[in-house]
Amino acid sequence: MKTFPGSLMLRLTRLVVGDQSLHKQLLLWLVLPQLVLWMAAAFVTYNVAARYANRAIDASLLQATRALARQVKPIGNGLFIDFPRAAQDIIEADPDDRVYYMVSTPPGQFILGSKKLPPPALAGAPRLGEPYFYDGVVDRMQIRVAALYVAYGDSKTRQLMLVQIARGRARRDELARSILGDTVLPLSGLILLMTMIVWAGIRAGLAPLARMRALVEDRAPNDLAPLKIDAAPQELRSLARALNDLLAAVHESVAAQRRFVNDAAHQLRTPLAGLKSQTELALGENVDAAQQQRLERVHESAVRSAHLVNQLLSLARAEPESALAQHSSRVDLRELAREVTAEWVPKALQATIDLGLDDAGEAPPPVIVQGHPLLIREALQNLIDNAIRYAGASAEVTVGVWRDGAFGVVQVADTGPGIPPDLHRAVFERFVRATHEGSGCGLGLAIVRSIAERHAGQVTLDGLAPHGLQVRIALPLAR
Amino acid sequence: MNLLLAEDDAILADALTEQLRHAGFETEHAPNGAVAEFLLLKQPWDLCILDLGLPMVDGLTVLQRVRQRKPELPVLVLTALDDLQSRVAGLNAGADDYLTKPFDFPELEARLRALLRRSQSSPLANASMAMGALVFERDSRRASIDGAPLELSPREWTLLDLLLTRRDRVVTKEEVAQAWSSERAEPGGNNSIEVYIHRVRRKLEGSGLSIRTVRGLGYLLEAIRPA
Repeated sequence: MKTFPGSLMLRLTRLVVGDQSLHKQLLLWLVLPQLVLWMAAAFVTYNVAARYANRAIDASLLQATRALARQVKPIGNGLFIDFPRAAQDIIEADPDDRVYYMVSTPPGQFILGSKKLPPPALAGAPRLGEPYFYDGVVDRMQIRVAALYVAYGDSKTRQLMLVQIARGRARRDELARSILGDTVLPLSGLILLMTMIVWAGIRAGLAPLARMRALVEDRAPNDLAPLKIDAAPQELRSLARALNDLLAAVHESVAAQRRFVNDAAHQLRTPLAGLKSQTELALGENVDAAQQQRLERVHESAVRSAHLVNQLLSLARAEPESALAQHSSRVDLRELAREVTAEWVPKALQATIDLGLDDAGEAPPPVIVQGHPLLIREALQNLIDNAIRYAGASAEVTVGVWRDGAFGVVQVADTGPGIPPDLHRAVFERFVRATHEGSGCGLGLAIVRSIAERHAGQVTLDGLAPHGLQVRIALPLAR
Repeated sequence: MNLLLAEDDAILADALTEQLRHAGFETEHAPNGAVAEFLLLKQPWDLCILDLGLPMVDGLTVLQRVRQRKPELPVLVLTALDDLQSRVAGLNAGADDYLTKPFDFPELEARLRALLRRSQSSPLANASMAMGALVFERDSRRASIDGAPLELSPREWTLLDLLLTRRDRVVTKEEVAQAWSSERAEPGGNNSIEVYIHRVRRKLEGSGLSIRTVRGLGYLLEAIRPA
């Protein structure tokens, strides 16, 4: 396929406008034209300088020509030229800047001088006393020639005389070059300075944009709070406003979704409670074995649904918006772990699980974090609940609390079958379960992670040797 | 035991009434707030289970009105709303306990009984407790297993009293130490608690009860399950 100029243009445009930063683009758009203008200015300056140099040289040549012409005096039919040798020497002295002169009477009668100078190109009769300036070549050297036609003799014997003086162009070019140099150098400095100023200006002008980018980049992915736009310039302000409108819309729809989940879960609770109670009742009555089995299944499924509904509500509660509404305070993880573990011991015993607290010695120091007590409790409850559900009968489940650097850690370790390492990431996803044992719904760790992230903390899973699992929540210590 | 169940969901109410009857409660059902309020104020009740989302008059209002007239009536709020605000509102309105749907009936029953124990906390009602083969008579400070008298020192008595009151729940070592110091028994460290637990365990042999050690926390009195 041929490359059309159009597509080339497109590519160029893309190169200029393409995926580069705004900063680079602006700089390019401002500096490129500046460079072109700089070159144009240099070109014009050179030409103007050359013209003025020409004019100056022409003037001096004319002067010399007139002077020479004055020295030529007619004597009778001849001409007397009063041109002292000394003057001749002076004129021809400089070898770098040769001066040629010639006096002749046209057509072609040579009287005095270098003889080689070309005559002016005449259109019509030569005008007397009026100078002609033109370029020519003598001895393979560029020269500038001034020519003057002078008439001599009385009206009868009137004759024309051509006086020419020429000079090498080297001088003139040098002059033009030095003018060019004197203009272009400061101009270049100016351009450089301008570029720097433009660069700094772009930087300063784009700073609010960079600030806004940082503002957007630094926020948590689920943070939908509006951007702060107090110090932004007008253009950016409208962009930020548009962004904020979008954020608000997203926020609203997320909130609506969450409200729906919340409402739906609430609405499900009463019928589920009814279902559970009815099946419990039916199980207590004397029914035949096959029906009993079916009833047990119905009951089991009712229990699972009830658990799911509770977990969904927990998840909805762990979301940032609802968490913001809750009161944040100083929470002693050690005290919380004691309370929650003690609460769960009866349930653990029912499942023949030995639930206990890691003995931290006599009167251990508190481990205080800043957070929402109910949410942290919820997270710990989920970990213990998970351990009881999945560790299996006669397993040991141990809750521990300690400080680790700037973090307070609460850990639930069990001696159950554990989770294969390749599933350690996946189990944090909603509705992902590592096993089909137990009656969980796959939301527990998602809730725990959501709560931990809400507190700028993290959750880690580790296998235990020979088997078992420890799940750790690390939350920043309160200052 | 007279119990009023105020619940608008017919299926749940039907099952609960039946379960409560099985558990020995004389249960009356009120399908809406107005009926619940009327019945609660009209008749004497030992207990009330109150749903918050009742039609006509909502549960909280019923609770507030009934509280003014019957401050002693134990009320357990049973609701689908379990956020903090609802809990606080319920407890502020005068609920004695709060249970969210869906629930396990044994838990409901245990809580109802706990409420009854608390409301009838006259020395007479609380004086005598029986668990397994153990009979624990507080007023006469006598205990027996299968009729055979059990000799208990004051500290052992306090310890067993605490464990019995909180049966199936964890009693921490701190709580034991606190109970001892408030009974002005001689002070002792945590080690002596273990010694006393050991002694009480020996004395409870044959009672069908056991004291379980909960690692890092304390102790729990439970009935020995048939293996």
